[in-house]
Amino acid sequence: MEYYAGIDIGSTMTKAVILAEEIVASVIGPTGPEHRRLANKVMEEALRRAGLALESITYIISTGYGRINVPFADKQVTEISCHARGVGSLFPQARTVIDIGGQDSKAITIDANGRPTNFIMNDKCAAGSGRFIEVIADSLGVKLEEMGDISLRSTHPAKISNICTIWAQQEVAARLAEGVPVPDLVAGIHEALADRVARMAKRLKVEKEVVLTGGGAKNKGLLKALSEQLGCEILVPPEPLITGALGAALLGKDIVQKALKSGKRPETKKRTLEEAKLH
Amino acid sequence: MAEEQKKRKKRKTATKAAASIGPMVKESITSTIRAREEGKQKIAYTFIVCQHDEILRAMDIVPVWTENYSGICGAKRDAERFLQRAESLGFSRSLCTYALCGLGFDQWREELGEMPPDAPWGGQVRPDFMISSGQILCDPRSKWYQAAQQFMPDVPIYNIDLPYPLFDPKRDHREVWGYYHRYIVKELRGLVSFLEEQTGKKMDYDRLRELVDLGDRTWNLIHETYELRRAVPCPMGTGDAMNTMVPMCFMMGTQEAYDFYLDLNKELKEKIARGEGEVEEEKYRLLWGGGLPAWYALNDFNYFNSKGASFPAETTYRMVVPLYEMDIPETNDPIEHLAWRWLGYWTFWYEKARKRPGSEPDVERLIQYIEDYKIDGVVMHEAFSCRTWHVGLIWQLHQLAKIYKPIPVLVLGKEGKKEKKQRELPSLVLESDIIDITSYSEVDTRNKIDAFIETLESLRRARAA
Amino acid sequence: MNKQSKGMAKVERYYENYGSRARELSAEGKKVIGYVCSFAPLEMITASGCIPFRLRGDIHEPITKGDTLLETIVCPYYRSCFDLAVKHRYEFLSGMVIPHACDSMVRSFSVWSYSLNLPYFQFVNTPSVVKDSSFEFFNEELKTYKKSLEEFVGKKITDDDLAGAIQLHNENRNKARAVYEFRKPDPPLITGQELAKTLLACSSLPIEESNRLLDEVLEEVGQRKKSPLGKGPRILIDGACIDNAELAGLVEDLGASVVADTICNGSRDYWPKVDEKKPPIEALADRYLDKLNCPKTYRENKTGNFEEDIKARFADIGFTAKEFQVDGAIIYLYRYCDPFGFEVPARKAYYELIHVPLLHLEDLYSAGTIGQLRTRIQAFLEMIG
Repeated sequence: MEYYAGIDIGSTMTKAVILAEEIVASVIGPTGPEHRRLANKVMEEALRRAGLALESITYIISTGYGRINVPFADKQVTEISCHARGVGSLFPQARTVIDIGGQDSKAITIDANGRPTNFIMNDKCAAGSGRFIEVIADSLGVKLEEMGDISLRSTHPAKISNICTIWAQQEVAARLAEGVPVPDLVAGIHEALADRVARMAKRLKVEKEVVLTGGGAKNKGLLKALSEQLGCEILVPPEPLITGALGAALLGKDIVQKALKSGKRPETKKRTLEEAKLH
Repeated sequence: MAEEQKKRKKRKTATKAAASIGPMVKESITSTIRAREEGKQKIAYTFIVCQHDEILRAMDIVPVWTENYSGICGAKRDAERFLQRAESLGFSRSLCTYALCGLGFDQWREELGEMPPDAPWGGQVRPDFMISSGQILCDPRSKWYQAAQQFMPDVPIYNIDLPYPLFDPKRDHREVWGYYHRYIVKELRGLVSFLEEQTGKKMDYDRLRELVDLGDRTWNLIHETYELRRAVPCPMGTGDAMNTMVPMCFMMGTQEAYDFYLDLNKELKEKIARGEGEVEEEKYRLLWGGGLPAWYALNDFNYFNSKGASFPAETTYRMVVPLYEMDIPETNDPIEHLAWRWLGYWTFWYEKARKRPGSEPDVERLIQYIEDYKIDGVVMHEAFSCRTWHVGLIWQLHQLAKIYKPIPVLVLGKEGKKEKKQRELPSLVLESDIIDITSYSEVDTRNKIDAFIETLESLRRARAA
Repeated sequence: MNKQSKGMAKVERYYENYGSRARELSAEGKKVIGYVCSFAPLEMITASGCIPFRLRGDIHEPITKGDTLLETIVCPYYRSCFDLAVKHRYEFLSGMVIPHACDSMVRSFSVWSYSLNLPYFQFVNTPSVVKDSSFEFFNEELKTYKKSLEEFVGKKITDDDLAGAIQLHNENRNKARAVYEFRKPDPPLITGQELAKTLLACSSLPIEESNRLLDEVLEEVGQRKKSPLGKGPRILIDGACIDNAELAGLVEDLGASVVADTICNGSRDYWPKVDEKKPPIEALADRYLDKLNCPKTYRENKTGNFEEDIKARFADIGFTAKEFQVDGAIIYLYRYCDPFGFEVPARKAYYELIHVPLLHLEDLYSAGTIGQLRTRIQAFLEMIG
């Protein structure tokens, strides 16, 4: 049996998937400030759950913001290609992937083979990412996980006109003082983020089916707002955080199978589960 | 959104003339829609300050001032959806937002084959041709219509190049302006030929001469009318001037514009006679020393007023200088005259600036206004998306502070003795945009204004007798 | 050090210690005239006996003093150049020539001129349209420019001086074009980084020295049997001023080769030549008005058809893409760049027309943000690979 692993080191979460014919293990853990160094811990945990040793993995691909310098990865691929491949395998009819992560967001158009045809990213501004909701949750004294449900209780979502995170924070404080109910404010914040993400996505040609991944996909309020903005239903994978890692593992599998077809073993690195060396 | 707009109160103006501008602009937009339906006159997209107003009027062209329409969208706080559309076409949001709003609107209208839903004031009509001008003033002007041809490829463009010599402290601009003049004349004659071709009509030069004469008289009348604002208390501020700029920028070469300023002139004289100021108790006289206004936040002028601050003068949209003070050759040819008027306008402050070391035309103009209008402080606005009017402002303030210190103050000198010193004028730079409201924070702006007023107040107390 | 490696080593030295040669020459009493944009007519400077020197910004140096004098809404590349100038990085300059290119340059002309306070400071008013009337005007403007230099150096510039300078600069362009030839093999014999550094080094030298340096580079690279790069996607870089090798380095680090460009520090500036058969001023007017293909110059659409319009405006991109067999292109622009910014949708449409995949990047001119582009570039390469 050949095993493949994908490890996706995002800005806030590190995800690992081990795959044979199907997923045999997956792990989601916080990235933390020392993410690059600790990628090996998440990998170790995934191996433990799969009951496998590192040597039995045929190919490992690292992806995500911390993909560079993962010492045990045979190859590093961007999260664009990995999300495309991962989502493509789960939803063959998907043509658009939107990923809302902790520090960035992106939209990818994909073909029937799960290959990206175009993409767009926002990583320069907190207002387009999960960070936006986090900052506001913090200033409202609400738990981040509860934000989505709170927003669904709104009857008249407030219009948040400021796009800049800092100003939006000021605006929320001012509206709160005016007596605007918290659920309306929270719904307004979700609409503002959805609006920003939808605008980014619309710079590509958004075609159905649309799949949402990343931490943002776990937020029901955001999902609703985004689906309204895009004017279509949005699909969510059973575990939206691991599509990148899954895609990475699948791309590894593709590489190996292609190599085997031509009668060669793929080139792999000599690997040990050591910490990444930081400069 | 529509409801929120209605809730916003109409801004209070000091003059009746300024209050009459809203309906006037609305009518000018409606009239372009009418003209499109009737189809008798040709409609041109174009820009203000291109010295071609009289030419267009003489040829019965209906001008659509595309910057104006974007400004209207901004003032109605309804520019965002057009800006977003431009962004989705691939334009960066850091570019000129007038152009982005216009492009977003046009692309939408062309895609629908009709006006976008709830277009402000009925919308901007499709033109028969576009007249742009790269000049030396503004890059977006020569790129905007070219970009618009992506969705209106059949609409031709005439691009007039209207350069003027840049200021050089060591060189008299009149050494070179002969060939500038020859070039501008050719450019304007080229425009006439283009219009003749487009309309199938010949230019009536007698009519053009009359209109240019009317235009000249309007220039002088505006100058004289605005000079009335030197009165203490000041009868009309910059807030109003951002309305009364409309005939000056969009209706030059028409009797209506001339009559408007006649009425304004009369109204200001009456107010002065009654001792009526823009604010009830005038404490500070401020100069709007640079930058286009944030059209969605004109209420900030009323906020200044509420603190006893009035704006007797502004450099923005005062696009005229008195013809009788311009040092330009006489000519009977209206086109040649227009070219001289253009050069005369842009080089108006050169001679003075050359005489004061460290000065330059824009700074010289500030000094002149500060003295003529008894100014206590300078306010500027930096709009992030427009390099044309908003680069060099910081430097102008630096230079002004360096070469011009009009305020005597007593300070504690050596050995604890009071010494008289000259201080520069205080200044304030506001930051936002012309129409992109997402760059604006009312809380932030008003905090800055409050702090500035406090500075003015403490300086007033410190002013040596 | 053996003879073969002389050229590239020199390039590296001039690139790293940018301006070192100009500083030496200035100490010897030569007059160095700075410029920042391809529209500055250099032949005139050479003909006057002065040395043209192209200013560079520095993506590794945070903009500090410059921001106290110049608004941050100015093109970040131009702001960086200004910041370095006011921080005395280019203290050896005797003067500067600023052409009418974009608003960032025109509107900040006085700020530069007063802040640097150099003995020579000249604005060259290049028209923004190409017509008979603008040629006539530009001829006159070039004469004014010539006169200003004559007054500065205290001697006449003769037609022979000009013809000589034109010849030298044309030679420089021929040699630079020859370096581009090494990009044609797959993988190319010269890396994008090397070529960028070579042309930048050249723009910091007197024209004769620049010519000699190019000879040495041509000789050295000509002896290469093997490419320094692996086989990978062949990339064209489209944009304005890119005055460092970092972007090319990043692209090549990710396994691709930079094999063509349209940039100011590349083919936009180095390819068009001056017609040596025409009277010198006229010939210069022709090159600097019509032959430099920059969006700053408005070119009329005479066909009433968008596709024909972009085919005419961007034809050079198509030729270059074909000649250098590119697999993909990257439009790399700075924020606040109005002339290029308003062309992005049209350029995108053109790349679709010629079937070259395109990545559009907007950046801030800083080492920190270039790094952030890594994922986008890598994903693009994965997509076209």
